[in-house]
Amino acid sequence: MEIDRADGRSPNQLRPLSCSRGVLNRAHGSASWAQGNTQVLAAVYGPKAGTKKNEDPEKASVEVIWKPKTGQIGKQEKEFEMVLKRTLQSICILTIHPNTTTSVIVQVVHDDGALLPCAINASCAALVDAGIPLKHLAVAICCCLAESGLVMLDPTKLEEEKMKAFVYMVLPNSILSVLPEESSSVKGEQMDHGLITSVTHGVMSVDDYLHCLERGRAATSKMSDFLRRNLQPRLSSDSSMAG
Amino acid sequence: MENKPSSFVDRQVVPGDVVLDLSKMSNQTIKIGGGLRQESDFITVMKAGKLRFSKPNKYWVESSQKRYVPRVDDTVLGIVVDTKADNFLVDIKGPALAFLPVLAFEGGTRRNRPKFEQGTLLYARVAKANPGTNPELSCTDASGKAAEFGPLKDGYSFECSTGLSRMLLSSPTCPVLEEFGKKLSFEIAVGLNGRVWVNAASPSTIIVVSNAIMKSESLSGVQQRIMVQKLLDRIQ
Repeated sequence: MEIDRADGRSPNQLRPLSCSRGVLNRAHGSASWAQGNTQVLAAVYGPKAGTKKNEDPEKASVEVIWKPKTGQIGKQEKEFEMVLKRTLQSICILTIHPNTTTSVIVQVVHDDGALLPCAINASCAALVDAGIPLKHLAVAICCCLAESGLVMLDPTKLEEEKMKAFVYMVLPNSILSVLPEESSSVKGEQMDHGLITSVTHGVMSVDDYLHCLERGRAATSKMSDFLRRNLQPRLSSDSSMAG
Repeated sequence: MENKPSSFVDRQVVPGDVVLDLSKMSNQTIKIGGGLRQESDFITVMKAGKLRFSKPNKYWVESSQKRYVPRVDDTVLGIVVDTKADNFLVDIKGPALAFLPVLAFEGGTRRNRPKFEQGTLLYARVAKANPGTNPELSCTDASGKAAEFGPLKDGYSFECSTGLSRMLLSSPTCPVLEEFGKKLSFEIAVGLNGRVWVNAASPSTIIVVSNAIMKSESLSGVQQRIMVQKLLDRIQ
């Protein structure tokens, strides 16, 4: 039951990834992330002194502003802001600079499917560029389920519209460690099976959902490698491509 | 998967990497510097950069950012933002504004307090830097002498990354500064917080030195010398 994808990819194949860091002069950290035609630019300012009224002053707070390509800011943008904020709050170490605010501004350059995962990847790269202390990196991926039951990764906008359901998932990146394989214990298990964020649209059965998670997890090792290579000595714009 | 901690030293690490396993190391005290965090028995990385080790027991992550994390005994260039009764509020490009006590000057008493306007550039030393509180600066060295600290007049200041400031302050002298020093006469103050101040008799000297410094972050020593030679040939 092979479905031919419009761009000739196999169901498990991701679109070409491209990431540039340090693209904006004024922002304290910035990154531009592209997956195929979907491109998002993220800028990070901070940490800046002071927090908002209903935020905990004992911790750093993260503020997200989502700017769509066209149109006014509506509910969809607010939802993206909330998901992004919760995701980034769980990867930043909030106790290091209490009573500060880190602002992340996300600008959509082009939306061709898997927009939220692309934005999460861009924000994570921008946070690293700004030197914000992080617990670990996050890698986001979109996985969709067709009517026929076929599971595909990283859909384009046309594919996304035709699908029965899709899942955006954010997973911790694979880490290098001095610990030997056997002592995976609690920490290792968390890293192997951790899931930071999961957003679903549409209707899917529990089995299908778990199947999507498995596929997504398998693909994150490639994205982790790409991210790790990209974070090597960076000197202003330096883009690299990975298929 | 290698188990030796030395395998990560001088390698690029990203946040989340576990670089040291304390239970495997014998009873030694390890000092961890910027970019590393202790999680029970492991040392993990918080910032992306190169892991460095210096004998006998210091580990840290070397990275270059636009913003600065205050550390005690760093010399920084700050800009006065406001004046309060007992302190000047100084911006040092960190997460919080720094306080400079009005008395922290050589021979400072309540009667002869210095008057700084908003926007004054100061060369100061970080005296206290605790997490969660505003850092404190001082314009005297540890023994109370002025030692070149204080306001900087005239000249031109610009911002750079923390990595570039460290390179400018490294010894032996950074190649850019050494080459310029052979032919031109200028004054320079470098703050570890990513601010540099250059002063010279003529504006063209200031401009050529500042532009060359801004360009030199990604160049090797040899490339820096070649760039400086070309610039000097053009202006002389």
